[in-house]
Amino acid sequence: MPFNQKPQKFNAKINDVTIGSGDKTVTFGGDCTFPFYSFDAESENSPKIGVEISDMGLEGVSEGIKAYYEGATTMGEIAQKAAAMEGADFVALILEGGDPNGVNKSIDELIEVVKEVAAAVDCPLVVEGCKNVEKDAELLPKVAEALQGRNALILSEKEENYKAIGAAAGLAYNQIVGAESAVDINLAKQLNVVTTQLGVDAKKIVMNIGSAAAGYGYEYVVSTMDRIKGAALGQNDNMLQMPIITPVSAETWNVKEATASEKDMPEWGPQDERGIDMEVETAAADLAAGSDAVILRHPESVKTISKLIKALA
Amino acid sequence: MLIDRIFNGNDAVYGLTVQAVDGAIAQHGADKAVGFPHTAYCLPCYYAVTGVKVKTLGEMKEALGVVKTLMTREQQLDDALMSGVATALCAEFIEALKYLDGAEPYSEPCYGHLADSIIREMGVPLVTGDIPGVAVILGSAPTAKEGVDLIKSYQAQGILVTLVGGIIDQAQELGLKMGYNVRIVPLGKEVTSVIHVVSVALRAALIFGNVTPGDAASLLTYTKDRVPAFVNAFKPVDDVILAAGAGAIKLGFPVITNEDENVEEVPGALIGCANVADFNKVSLEARNIKIKITKIDIPVAFASAFEGEIIRRKDMQVEFDGSRVDCAELVQTREMSEVEDHKITVVGPEVDEMEFGSKNSIAYVVEVAGKKMQPDFEPVIERKFHNYINCIEGVYHTGQRDMQRIRIGIEAFNAGFRIKHIGEVLYSQVKNEFDAVVDKCQVTIYTDPAECTRIRHEVAIPVFDKRDERLDSLTDESVDVYYSCILCQAFSPSHVCVVTPERLGLCGAVSWLDAKATNQLDPAGPCQVITKERPIDENLGSYEDVDEAVQKFSQGALEHVTLYSIMQDPMTSCGCFECICGIEPFSNGVVIANREYAGMTPLGMTFPEMASMTGGGVQTPGFMGHGKHFISSKKFMKAEGGIERIVWMPKELKETVAERLNKTAKELYGIDNFTDMVGDESIATDPEALVEFLTEKGHPALSMDPMM
Repeated sequence: MPFNQKPQKFNAKINDVTIGSGDKTVTFGGDCTFPFYSFDAESENSPKIGVEISDMGLEGVSEGIKAYYEGATTMGEIAQKAAAMEGADFVALILEGGDPNGVNKSIDELIEVVKEVAAAVDCPLVVEGCKNVEKDAELLPKVAEALQGRNALILSEKEENYKAIGAAAGLAYNQIVGAESAVDINLAKQLNVVTTQLGVDAKKIVMNIGSAAAGYGYEYVVSTMDRIKGAALGQNDNMLQMPIITPVSAETWNVKEATASEKDMPEWGPQDERGIDMEVETAAADLAAGSDAVILRHPESVKTISKLIKALA
Repeated sequence: MLIDRIFNGNDAVYGLTVQAVDGAIAQHGADKAVGFPHTAYCLPCYYAVTGVKVKTLGEMKEALGVVKTLMTREQQLDDALMSGVATALCAEFIEALKYLDGAEPYSEPCYGHLADSIIREMGVPLVTGDIPGVAVILGSAPTAKEGVDLIKSYQAQGILVTLVGGIIDQAQELGLKMGYNVRIVPLGKEVTSVIHVVSVALRAALIFGNVTPGDAASLLTYTKDRVPAFVNAFKPVDDVILAAGAGAIKLGFPVITNEDENVEEVPGALIGCANVADFNKVSLEARNIKIKITKIDIPVAFASAFEGEIIRRKDMQVEFDGSRVDCAELVQTREMSEVEDHKITVVGPEVDEMEFGSKNSIAYVVEVAGKKMQPDFEPVIERKFHNYINCIEGVYHTGQRDMQRIRIGIEAFNAGFRIKHIGEVLYSQVKNEFDAVVDKCQVTIYTDPAECTRIRHEVAIPVFDKRDERLDSLTDESVDVYYSCILCQAFSPSHVCVVTPERLGLCGAVSWLDAKATNQLDPAGPCQVITKERPIDENLGSYEDVDEAVQKFSQGALEHVTLYSIMQDPMTSCGCFECICGIEPFSNGVVIANREYAGMTPLGMTFPEMASMTGGGVQTPGFMGHGKHFISSKKFMKAEGGIERIVWMPKELKETVAERLNKTAKELYGIDNFTDMVGDESIATDPEALVEFLTEKGHPALSMDPMM
């Protein structure tokens, strides 16, 4: 019997959400098939890649990353190099120095960094908070204010602080709201519901459904993304049709495979390569499971994933 | 009368505005630019209401014609309120004229017009509730002190206070520190400057509510529902103020006044309040503003870290013990007028007056009122008391109802902890956690032994009895809706519990009342309403509504679920089940094993082995997870004949459920001491020996129709 292809047609699609302003914009989402199922329908919009830089500069980054940014001394210069990376679609600034349990930089100090980066590059911007819910509730509204007119993605509001961040980013300063939940379809949906109840337009929300490095409880991430895409397309659930962005590097560069030195683990091989491997493996799996965008750090990872997307999409 | 006064005030203001605009045109010409500084919304109020941007004096003149059309003169309340809106728009024109040629008409301490950036900044705390409300105080208080006290009372609650008129002089006279940073904003001394706060409310609707300018209906809905503002107007309230007040009322902002002459009250909108000291309370209630409690006023710490803390006898100052003396804990629903918020009363001796190491009586009654409060929530709130009191550093609590036991440690006592602080904790926790249903709360704590006896026997026990009766009388047939529960989907993605009065969640922790309360408290949360309007088969307990709900909440993994059958589309399980029931083919019955039971069952399977067939959201006909309480339910696998099918349970479980199970068996089949016919591990764990035992006892399952 000859093979008879039956395209799986959905009467629903993932929202397309554009970030950035002027002629430098990038759009997430928009597809009506499962990830890379280009045999079911033409892809509207392939997944996007962001390059992550930190307010901590090049402190603690791997050798390969350091080498790429050589010569860049200010945050502005670092941002420019990030934007110029081969395969990069946008720049993601993570304000990890704001964490009260870490360096605990002041909000004013961090806003200066945001302004410097914003002034240095005109590409689409994503700003990630410091992950502390109380600090982010104060910090991210200020970030949204500082980036007026840039149509930036603010990552992210959580269940505990969605009102402050959702209202500031989504209503007061017209940015795109990142909604972060902890690897659970119902929590993801609930956060989208309450955010839209605030008055934020559902078409201005991007989800971060939570992530993990491959091998670190990662199956939950796959099954959650899978179910979200299934509900969004198969059941036309418009509270789950927001595109998904996954910050990969913040997870993968902290696991032992990436942090153990070659001296300690000679049998594991060069440290930089292991970091790239973790980043690439995780990002590839995220994209295959349903992420519409990933955030990476290493230029090699960005190049590799960019190639993967071109080959599959 | 009231309506005529509003019309008069409106006419007066309109007349003045026409004069002022004509005068300005005569002086500057019709093309002269007009507008407020630092706003993208021109004349924001006029723009928000009509969708038209007024940019010149000539356009302002035309706009006055539009305003005139709002000034209808039917003797109807709504005509009066629209005239109020017209008055407000006129006030905006008059104020705008002050800003001609880049003038700065307002100086310290008055703000006048507020820039867009302030609204964007203020909008966020308004949305999060950090600014719970906006007070507009207008006129002069009877005395400066009363006025300033009122301002401070709002300030202490985090409410943004705007001031118009004589109150500004009064505040300055007493040296009150004012400014946006301390949330006290004097607008201006003329009554027309009140428009600057209206302008804030309307721009908030445009910015935060995505209201289209000119869509007056959406605009008014937004300000009414989302902008928690209210007006406090001091007497004398003249026609002009009354007309402006009518505008506020149209926006949904109630006006509270001490004016008692020539003013009729309009319920919920224009409210008389003779005593200025009561303005705060009356205003908050009228606008339904709830103040978040951020700090509990007690001398020791309060945190979940102390929840597991145990106070040993040697570390104990005093104790209260419901098993030895009369104690009780109780939540009671009251009318709004019967509860004074945050009133805490101790009746009887304080800890200081109790003997060291003594055993005492205690009874606390928490009275709550709220528009959405229902007596069904009382036990849900009460069950949290254990957790609340335990979270106090140096205090511990066990038990419930009239069997609670509390110990106050020596260190907590020395730190100043007293009985009244238990009241503070109960008050603030109930208000914080149940803010969706509790608007007001007061606590009375009895330590007087005679009073405790009275409360326990005359108040609490009758209430508990009534509640138990209500629970018993709640049947699947007597309610209109069931609830879904998907609390466990994080690890069991395709499982959905359907919770009914007679079938609680399989974890045993979510009853129908709990699910109902969860739904009310967290409407977007894990428990959603399932209607039961389209039954398919009442005996199986299958409904089209239920099927649709499980399809939706399992994201399509489940299509059909019955409530009462173990064989046909049985309800799925997450993995949290208290018990598992499995079909036992030799005896034609079922075996139940509870999680605590570690031994073998006549099915040749242990509990974990049965669990592997039952959990994970899969439907395995012949197996079903459930709560202990469900065993004695009349709906327990009703489709297959009900509890008569139970042939075996672990001894411990059998003893736990015996009383209720026997009662159900008697009611349904007239069988006495049914559990005597049910096997357990001391009788048999292999099917042949079990059948022998059942035959000897004449167990009804043996003669029933085969299950398969």
